[in-house]
Amino acid sequence: MTTQLGIRARGGIALFFLAALGACGTFDVTNPNQPTLDDLVSNPTKAKLAVAATGIFATSRSDIQAFIWRVGSMGREGINLSGNNQPDYQEPYFGPLASGGSFGATLWAVDFAHIRSVNIYLDAVPVAPDLSAAERSASLGFAKTLKALAFMYVIETRAQNGAPVDVGRAVTGDPPPFVSQDSVYGYILGLLNEAQTNLQAGSGAFPFPVPPGYAGFDTPATFVQFNRALAAKAYVLRGTVGCGAPCFTSALAALTGSFLVADPGQLKLGVYFDFSTAAGDQTNGLSDPLGSPAFFAVPRLLTQAQTQADGTTLDQRALDKVAAATLDPPQQVGGVNIPGTYKFTNFFTGGDADPSAPIPIIRNEELILLRAEANLGLGNNATALADINFIRTSSGHLAPTTLTAGSPKAALVDELLYNRLFSLLWEQGTRWIDARRYNLLGTINVEVDNGHVPTVMPVPADECSARNLPAGCSPLTGG
Amino acid sequence: MYRWFNGVFLFAFLALAPTVLRAQDREVRGVVSRSDNSEPISDAYVGLVGVAGRFTTRTNGVGRFTITIPAGQQRLAVRAIGLLKKEVPVGPQENDLTIILNPDVFKIEELVVTGQATGTERRAAATSTAIVSGEDITGTPAGSIDRALQGKIAGANIQTNSGAPGGGVQVAIRGSNTITGASDPLIVVDGVIISNASLPTGLFTATRSGAATGTGPFQDDQANRLVDLNPADIASIEILKSAAASSTYGSKAANGVVLITTRRGRSGRTKVNVTQRLGVAELLRGPGTRVFDTTAAFSVFSSLDKDVIRSFEVNGVLPTYDHLKEIAGSKPLSYETLADVSGGNDNTKFFLSGSVKQDNGIIVRTGAGRQTLRTNLDQKIADKLTLNFSNSFSRTVTETGFTNNDNSGAGLTYAIAYIPGFIPLTPVNGVFPQPAITYLGANPLQTEALMINTETVTRYIGGATLRWQALTSSINSLQIVGSAGADFFSQDAQVVAPPDLYWQASRATPGVATQSNGTSRQLNWNINAINDYSPAGNSWRSSTSLGAQYEDRFLSQNRVTASGLIPGQTHIDQAAVLGGQFQNDITERTFAGYAQEELYFFKERLNLNAGLRAERSSVFGNSDKFYLYPKVSARYTFPGLLGNGSEVKLRAAYGQTGNQPLFGQKFTVLRGGVNIGGNVGTTVGAASGSPDIRPERKREVEGGVDATFWHGRGSLQVTVYRNTESDLLLPRTPAPSLGYSQVFLNGGSQRNVGQEVFLGVTPVQSRDFTWIFETSFTRNRNKVLSLPFPGFRPVGAGFGLAFGEFFIEPGKPAQQIIGQTGINPDGTFIVSTIGDAAPDFKWSFGNNLSYKNLTLYALWDWQYGGWAQNQTLSLYDCNQLAPDGNTPEGQARADACLSTGLATPFVQRTTFLKLREVNLGYQLPKKVVKTLFGGAETVRLSLAARNLLIFTNYFGYDPESSNFGQQAIVRNIDLGPYPPSRTFFFNIAVGF
Repeated sequence: MTTQLGIRARGGIALFFLAALGACGTFDVTNPNQPTLDDLVSNPTKAKLAVAATGIFATSRSDIQAFIWRVGSMGREGINLSGNNQPDYQEPYFGPLASGGSFGATLWAVDFAHIRSVNIYLDAVPVAPDLSAAERSASLGFAKTLKALAFMYVIETRAQNGAPVDVGRAVTGDPPPFVSQDSVYGYILGLLNEAQTNLQAGSGAFPFPVPPGYAGFDTPATFVQFNRALAAKAYVLRGTVGCGAPCFTSALAALTGSFLVADPGQLKLGVYFDFSTAAGDQTNGLSDPLGSPAFFAVPRLLTQAQTQADGTTLDQRALDKVAAATLDPPQQVGGVNIPGTYKFTNFFTGGDADPSAPIPIIRNEELILLRAEANLGLGNNATALADINFIRTSSGHLAPTTLTAGSPKAALVDELLYNRLFSLLWEQGTRWIDARRYNLLGTINVEVDNGHVPTVMPVPADECSARNLPAGCSPLTGG
Repeated sequence: MYRWFNGVFLFAFLALAPTVLRAQDREVRGVVSRSDNSEPISDAYVGLVGVAGRFTTRTNGVGRFTITIPAGQQRLAVRAIGLLKKEVPVGPQENDLTIILNPDVFKIEELVVTGQATGTERRAAATSTAIVSGEDITGTPAGSIDRALQGKIAGANIQTNSGAPGGGVQVAIRGSNTITGASDPLIVVDGVIISNASLPTGLFTATRSGAATGTGPFQDDQANRLVDLNPADIASIEILKSAAASSTYGSKAANGVVLITTRRGRSGRTKVNVTQRLGVAELLRGPGTRVFDTTAAFSVFSSLDKDVIRSFEVNGVLPTYDHLKEIAGSKPLSYETLADVSGGNDNTKFFLSGSVKQDNGIIVRTGAGRQTLRTNLDQKIADKLTLNFSNSFSRTVTETGFTNNDNSGAGLTYAIAYIPGFIPLTPVNGVFPQPAITYLGANPLQTEALMINTETVTRYIGGATLRWQALTSSINSLQIVGSAGADFFSQDAQVVAPPDLYWQASRATPGVATQSNGTSRQLNWNINAINDYSPAGNSWRSSTSLGAQYEDRFLSQNRVTASGLIPGQTHIDQAAVLGGQFQNDITERTFAGYAQEELYFFKERLNLNAGLRAERSSVFGNSDKFYLYPKVSARYTFPGLLGNGSEVKLRAAYGQTGNQPLFGQKFTVLRGGVNIGGNVGTTVGAASGSPDIRPERKREVEGGVDATFWHGRGSLQVTVYRNTESDLLLPRTPAPSLGYSQVFLNGGSQRNVGQEVFLGVTPVQSRDFTWIFETSFTRNRNKVLSLPFPGFRPVGAGFGLAFGEFFIEPGKPAQQIIGQTGINPDGTFIVSTIGDAAPDFKWSFGNNLSYKNLTLYALWDWQYGGWAQNQTLSLYDCNQLAPDGNTPEGQARADACLSTGLATPFVQRTTFLKLREVNLGYQLPKKVVKTLFGGAETVRLSLAARNLLIFTNYFGYDPESSNFGQQAIVRNIDLGPYPPSRTFFFNIAVGF
């Protein structure tokens, strides 16, 4: 095939081929449906980061409702009797918590998905050309604070199982190692303290819109008070699971930088997650109408509540947060002898369910109780009792406790936990978390025959299989 | 008829023959006609054997030719499309010839493609080929081309997802070639790559199917868009099965390629054909009704007040209404009118056609209509330049009603699985009763009367091919062939569930309206240069091709759902709450270059081919990288091995193709539209993109023996193959602490091993009586060889281990169905494999008898083995409504659902034998035609039936049903499908 003709023919073909090559559109097709991560990471701008910051505010609340009702179910504050999904009541009331499925495996992935968003934002902020150094610093302080909050929700449910913290890794790489509960708190506090420094060096205003739930804490200078409130909470929690006095001391220091104020009119002062019915927004599904067959208060709460001075009126906090259900006959699911007779009203507005009701992240009432707890941990019992009595009288309309600084430690702890239960009922998962911290899980009434109060939420099965470990694994101990 | 690659072939033929000039030429005349009906053949090729060159001609419109040939004893070769070629001796004194050609019944001389613009005779092909002619698919009317192919292609498993007119069809060629990738074969019409996209109508917004898993759109019984083509426009369909054959189409060809060639004009008298069809459909089969006596009803419906049950008694006995007949007992009329005009001269040839059809469904207010128009033109522009132009427009309206999986009360077939036979559903004084026992309040007859699920697709497909004979010499030629085409369609679908439906009335905002729109645009062009070289001496020749191809695909889908509809209104803006907006656009671009060499030795007996395609695409992680798809094939032909007029061919082929990543798998998205406090934000999507995602790769080895015997009256093709798919696109669940719920990665492999046999014989071929027998056998075994992580449950795998579901794991077939099959001593369930959805084998038998003017054709289609998740059965059993509910077997199945939790009864074998097609035809004698139909040439009457009979032990509807539509693995889930029907058509076809 070497004739003249053949060579000419092939030359012609080659030219044709080259001409064809030049006539194509671009192959670097971008995704027209959504913004891509690449664009945010490699080409961040103030405007894109502002939208991403809104996204962080939005996803920081994605798991809070599930947290409140699931942890609240384990701590016998409430129960999900909708009957749609058996594990919703089976696992917290009868156990065991499954490492897969829809209860025991939750309160994990949603938080880490949020943390992934925060990590990407943290990577992008330093390279955005149109952010000033102060705005950059403010942005970092904001993001690290909310990242710490997410880790706090994770470790509150996983406790001794630990959790991974080095999660800003490639998705195709090795899974991050688990670290101990104390190390997770250490990591959280490291983040919060870095964030404090960042916020203090921050601009006058954040370079992004701040949702209304942060009213009063929506500039770097005021947001730092929210940061210190979270730090105080982390120090106290860490203090009760091993760290002890140094942490309680740090907690007290942090509280001085927080928005704590001993004003009976300011107990609700704090930072809230916002909800609404607007398109794309999340609604507050825990604001459950009195006639709805979903979430119910455990009736025993009303017998556990103390009475006010008249000897009959219950603790004001119980009255404010629990009301009779209007379903007739009461909602009930087979095999569960808790009738659906009481509902929670703490997310009602003007006496009615309100899907736009905010949910507290942390508020002044909790800060006062944290100060009491830190002082109790340091042996400053009298100071602690002063705060406890302040809450008893201002929030519960109860008489001051009869306990004194000399009362037994166990009694003082009980008194603290009683107040934490009713002050933070159905908003912080407080009874189960507190009972575990003080080794008092056995004192929670199981409420059902053959019931069981879970000790800790398991490591999700997908976390195990990613490490080639069987379901129910314990990566912290290598099993 | 001028096939698009005919020129290439003709040229190769011409180039073979050294040009020889003789002094003493003479003129010979002749006429060429068909053996079967004595009709003259126009456009037949006539040429001198061995010495072609200028000694060639074509017959005119009445089959006559005149050719100049050298003096002395000569031989002439005569060939025409659809007929066996013939060599006839021409004596030195002979100058008037009558040449009769036999039909090429088994298509052994059809042209098949070997590359983008090259082809060869099928008998010379080095890969297994499958060809179906237009007549093969139009004899017995079918809703779409793919339905018409059922039972006609060895190696293809073609399933109808439901009995709905215009419902979806899924095609698996040589087993399942992917796990999560695209599962449709590539469809090419006259060189234009067309979309076979399946778009949802939005029915799932009314049924709430897949609300939790996001699989709703797949459960809409989506029509795939082959339904838009008019089968009567089709000249032939070639199916590329092996990777060696489909390698030309690179990373889109792993599921095979379907090449459709439409009819074109021939020179000669203008011909007009008009066909009118009238048809009727009726229910083929479905679940029976359990007969209750009052005592049994008390026990099964113990929660219901006894007086309520007694109130249904008629004369003291509970009646039994056949609810299936009530919802699907309609016997509607259908019609189709087809017309075409074709003709032309040596320079211009045309084919024009139009059609109007309406197939009505056995469920009232369902059906499928289609209108088509086609213009095919072939123009010789200059001596060496020809243009083929194809142009078609269609409008398809499909109304499939409310069937399939249902979570809201919408599904008709779903609801009757909840309603015992003694509950009346028919309206009383125009008011539908509210059934005391039903699913979510539904009265399916009311639903049927008010539902709207309508999809309209308007579509244009057009293309042009320009062919330039650039250079010609006695030993060398160069042809440049360029094609470009476009396929545009727009989909407009409405689903309406009015507020007065009982299952809507109890909602907070009753009444659902959903508007869906889709736009698809596919553009592609290719350009090819083919150099044929045949050195003097005739010992060998070669054909070298180089080419390039480009494809641009855009698909946009929008959907808006509204609820709280104003009574009587159907539009989304006449509703209280707007929600569920969706928009998704995809853009894909693919470019490829290829080179191919075909070599022929030893008087064409040995053929060696090799080719290489290099391809880049925007959907690959690295869109700059070219992926290579090689192919090699060889064949050797032994003439006369089985006696005179026989030929045995050995062939072997190896090739690679691919399956592209789905659009979007490379991107990690930021989910927009996240709102808090009135501000909109973005958050990182749940699935991590894979920036290095690659196409899946398929490697296939194929070998076979083809034999032709009895002078073309017998044909045997035996093929064995083994294909391995590696770099599979797999969904992996990463550690959740990394923040993503899913990431797609390439890895693992699976394999299909199979055998295909085709045998066709013409035991009798005489002037008055012909009997043609054809049978094809297909067997395929699939196995997952490896996965980079433990087994996984594909999306939409089923409804839990208690009912059976698909599970992908190494060492098992990809379509295995697992489930709870027993209980361990410790009380836990034994979970094990129950079956494989893929059939053990498929075997079809066709008989074509003709006696004088009468013809009779019957096609039997036998599937042996295969398993389905029969959740229609589990519905009936869980509700204790199976017709055998009062027997121990029926009770055992009810127990499996209600108490023991075993899946075994609900995973059933799909063995069936169907009489797919029966067709009785009668050609009116010419005399009668002349007297009755003045001006007409031919009149043919026929009576055709599709799905006339089915024999199966399968419970309920059709063992082919698929709730989840066109997918690779998740087929064979039967859950309240549209019931199957048998259809009868009376046809009258008049030719002018």
